Amino acid sequence: MSAVTKRTDRFTETTIDEEIVVMHLGTGRFFSLTGTAALLWRLIDGTHDRSTLANEVTAIFDGRESDIASDVDDFLEQLEEAGLIAID
Amino acid sequence: MSRSPAELLLERETRACYGPVPIQLFDEPLGPMSWQMRDETFLLRAEGDHYFYYRRGNGLTIHRGTDADASEESLWLNGSVYAAIASMNGLLPIHASAVACDGAVFAFAGPASAGKSTLAAALGRHGLAMFCDDTLVLDLSDPQQLICLPGHKRLKLCPDAFALTGAAVEEKVSQTYGKYYAAPAAGTVGMAMPLAMLIFLADGPEMAIAPISGAERFLRLTDDHQTARLFEAARKLDRAEEFARRASLARKIAMARFVRPMDRGRFDEGVAMAANYIRSLAGLNA
Repeated sequence: MSAVTKRTDRFTETTIDEEIVVMHLGTGRFFSLTGTAALLWRLIDGTHDRSTLANEVTAIFDGRESDIASDVDDFLEQLEEAGLIAID
Repeated sequence: MSRSPAELLLERETRACYGPVPIQLFDEPLGPMSWQMRDETFLLRAEGDHYFYYRRGNGLTIHRGTDADASEESLWLNGSVYAAIASMNGLLPIHASAVACDGAVFAFAGPASAGKSTLAAALGRHGLAMFCDDTLVLDLSDPQQLICLPGHKRLKLCPDAFALTGAAVEEKVSQTYGKYYAAPAAGTVGMAMPLAMLIFLADGPEMAIAPISGAERFLRLTDDHQTARLFEAARKLDRAEEFARRASLARKIAMARFVRPMDRGRFDEGVAMAANYIRSLAGLNA
């Protein structure tokens, strides 16, 4: 299993009205996470890999499993590129 | 009428006298129309030989040379100098004009020329008293609520705004500044009150007022006005501290967006909409 973990030393975050704002401490760049993105962000706790994250989302949202898995992959790549998560 | 500790603090710290001042706080010289802040001191240079020097706990010293424009002095005092002193004493000045309704403050924010002062003044025609013009100073000491300190600036309007607002024309602001001082139709409130809402003004074809929620409340607190730069310089927060400060503020401040066309023919309609919105919220808060 390739666990997905947050790089907690690199960002700070806050929740306002169920939406999440994350700021990269190095760059000062903001990320606003709503809906599925916010859910995924909350699920990333170091115990899930890509597929279990996709399964969790599929269990909550309607949609084809393959489409959701692809969207989850895209989102995780964006977070990794931004330096907010690591995928072991 | 009792005054809050923050009001008394500002009154004490903004007391001014004339005398000699340093002409720079760092090695580099201070150019005209710029400022420096260092530790407990602040130095602003207006045009020419005109300086404002503040040291925390000692008040303000002004040096006005022979070539200085005296008519501009109150603008500097009530503008950047006041905002710097407020910031250096733990208060938060924000770029907004505001009215009072049922014991609470409704403030309008937006970029320069968004119509903040004109709208706040025009609400006087609907019986809403002016609270402040251009700068709203917040006392952050109460963890439960944000307290607004009464406005320290006189209302200033462009000549064509008097007919729109019903405000009375007073004297010209300065020799070089095109605005006039104004007396708002419903008067001015002079006591501290809690902040009820921050309403962001925007230009758009469809007139509407709607609450702002979620992450946008955080992101809306980005401000590139001079008051924000003075606050940043005074507080010297690192990124994480600044983030936490904004998050805390965003959670405490109810916000809305007021979109209206910049069309004089529909100005009264917009003012009426804002007045009704504020009265409906004030009724809920009461």
